[in-house]
Amino acid sequence: MKRKLLIAVLLVFCTIYPIFANSAWLTIGATFFIFSLVALSQDIVLGRAGVYDMGHAIYFGMGGYIFAILVTKLGMNFFAAAFAAVFLPALLALAVVTPVIHLRGDYFLVVSIGLNFIFTQILNNNPFRLTGGPNGIFGIFPAPFMGINFSSSVFIYYFAFIVITLTIAIMNNFDNSRYGRAFYFIYQDDLAAASMGINASYLKQIGFMMSAVLAGFAGVLYALEYSAVSPETFSVDQSITFFAIVIVGGQGSLPGVLLGTFAMFVLPELFRGFADVRYLIFGIAMVAMMVMRPRGLMPTKYGFYPKKLFGGDT
Amino acid sequence: MDIFSQQLINGLTYGSLLGFIALGYTMVYGILNLINFAHGDMVTLAAFLAITIAPLAVAAGTLAMIITLAAVVVSVCIIAILLEKIAYKPLRAAPRLSLIVSALGAGMVIKNAIMLIWGANPRIFPRNLFPAGLAKFSDISVSYLSVIILLLNILVMLTLYIFINKTRVGIAIKALSTDYSVAELMGVNVNNTVMIVFLIGGGVGALGGMLIGASYTTVTFSMGFDYGIKAFIAAILGGIGSIPGAMFGGLLLGLTYTFCSGYVSSAWANTVTYLLLIILLIFRPNGLFGRSLVQKV
Repeated sequence: MKRKLLIAVLLVFCTIYPIFANSAWLTIGATFFIFSLVALSQDIVLGRAGVYDMGHAIYFGMGGYIFAILVTKLGMNFFAAAFAAVFLPALLALAVVTPVIHLRGDYFLVVSIGLNFIFTQILNNNPFRLTGGPNGIFGIFPAPFMGINFSSSVFIYYFAFIVITLTIAIMNNFDNSRYGRAFYFIYQDDLAAASMGINASYLKQIGFMMSAVLAGFAGVLYALEYSAVSPETFSVDQSITFFAIVIVGGQGSLPGVLLGTFAMFVLPELFRGFADVRYLIFGIAMVAMMVMRPRGLMPTKYGFYPKKLFGGDT
Repeated sequence: MDIFSQQLINGLTYGSLLGFIALGYTMVYGILNLINFAHGDMVTLAAFLAITIAPLAVAAGTLAMIITLAAVVVSVCIIAILLEKIAYKPLRAAPRLSLIVSALGAGMVIKNAIMLIWGANPRIFPRNLFPAGLAKFSDISVSYLSVIILLLNILVMLTLYIFINKTRVGIAIKALSTDYSVAELMGVNVNNTVMIVFLIGGGVGALGGMLIGASYTTVTFSMGFDYGIKAFIAAILGGIGSIPGAMFGGLLLGLTYTFCSGYVSSAWANTVTYLLLIILLIFRPNGLFGRSLVQKV
C-alpha cells in the first residue's frame, strides 16, 4: 500500500514538474529519464541475463547516430527515422553479440569494452562523411508533424516520461513472466539453467536485442533533447558509468537502478561548485558502497516464490 | 635505417611496456579472478610520482636515478597493498561484479586524485631518469632506452618465472591460482600471498609507468585506462594467469598495434587491435599459452 502511494506521488510529481521547472531543470528532468532508460536497458543484460556487458553505450549511440543521420542527411520524417533508430540497434546487437555470446563472464566484459572502443573510433574517423568525426552531428531538428514540434523541451520531457513509465511497467511484468523467470535462472547459474532445458545463449541474445531496443530509444530521445550527438557521449567511460549504476543500485532492481541514475546524473547538478571533485567522490562512494552493501543499494527480492518452499529463510 | 626495423623496435618497446603492466593484471586475476581496473591508474601514478621525486633527488648526484626509481616503486607498492586492504579484501566473499565495481571506483579515485594534485594538463617526464642517446648496430640505431626496456622485460620475466616456480612463496601463489579453496585448506596463507601478488604487480607496474613516461616524454592523468585495458588484453592473449604469456601477449599486441599504425592507418590501429582480440577469443578462448579450463559445476 505504502509502495503504491509512493508510486502515485512520484507519477503526479513528474506529471506536474514542467509547470514549475525552468528550462534548465526541464532538461535535467528529461536527461534523467533518458539516462534511466539506458541504465534500465543495461540492467536487462547485466542484472537479468547475467552477461557482463561493459559496452552498452554502443546501442545508445547507435540509436542516436542512426536517428541523427536519417534526419539530417536524408531528411527523413520523425516517425520513420525513430522507427529505424529503435530497431536497427537490435539487429546490430544480434550481429555483434552472437559470435561472442558463449564467452565466459570476464572475457565477454573485455570484448564488450573492445567493441565500444571500436565503435567510438568508427564515429571519430567519420567513414563516408556520415558520422561527423569528433564533433559529431548537430542541428538535429526533425520536421514538425501535425503541429507537433518534436524539438520542444516540454514535448521531449513528456515523451521521455511516457517511455520510461511504460518501460518500467513492462519490465515489472516481464520479471514475473516465463521469460523473466528463465532469465533469473540463467543469471543464477547458466550451466544449471541449460541442463534444465533453458536455451541460455538464445535467451541472452533475446535479452541483448530487448535492451538494444530500449537503448536505441534512449538514443533517439537524447538526439532530440540536445539536437546533437558526439562520440564522447557514447564512450567506454559512459558504458562504465552505466555498468556501475546497475551494480551500485542493485542488479535487477528497478528502484535501485533509478536511484543510481539519479545519484550519478542529477546530484552533480545540485552541487555544481564541486565539479572538480565529482568523480573523486563517486569513486570513493563506489568503493564504500560495495564494501558496505556488496549486493547494491536496493537488492532485489525475488518475490515470486512461495516463501514456504524455502522454509521462510529467503 | 628502413621503416620496417624502426617499426619493429617501436613495436617491441611498446609491447614490452604493455607486458610490464600485464604482469600485474595476470597475477591478480590468476588468484582473485579480479580484473584490477585500478592497476592502470597505479601505473600512471608511478609516472607522476617520478615527476615530483626526480627533481628532489637530483641533489644526490648520479644516484638520482636509482633513488627516484626505488622511491617510486616503494610508494606504489605501499599504495597497491593499501588498495587491496581497503577495496578488495572486504569483498572476497561478495559477488564478483561488486569486486569489479569496487576496482573501477578505486581506479576513479586514483585517477582523479592525480588530476587534482598534478593538474589536468599533460606533464613532461624528467629526461634525466634514464640514459638518453642512441646505440648503433651496423646501420640501425636504437635508443638506449629501448635497449633498457627490452632487457628489463626479459630480466623481469625470468626472475618472476624462477620466483614462481622455485620459491616457497611462488609455489603458494601457483597453488592459490590453481585452486583457491583447496590451497587455503592446505594451509597456504591467503592474506600474505595476495599481498605479495599485489606488491609484485604494483612494483613491476610502477617500473612500467616510469618507462612509459620516459619513452613518450609526456604523461597525462587519464592515460591509465587505455594502457590498462590494452595490457589486460595482452594478458588474455597470452593466456590469463601465465607470466610468460603476459610478456608474449604484450609483445604481440605491441607489434600488431605499431605495424597497423605504420602501414595501414593510425586512425584504425585500435580497431584492428581489438578485432584481433575478439577473433582470437572466438577460436582460442584460453589465449595462446593458457591451459584449457574445464568449467566445474
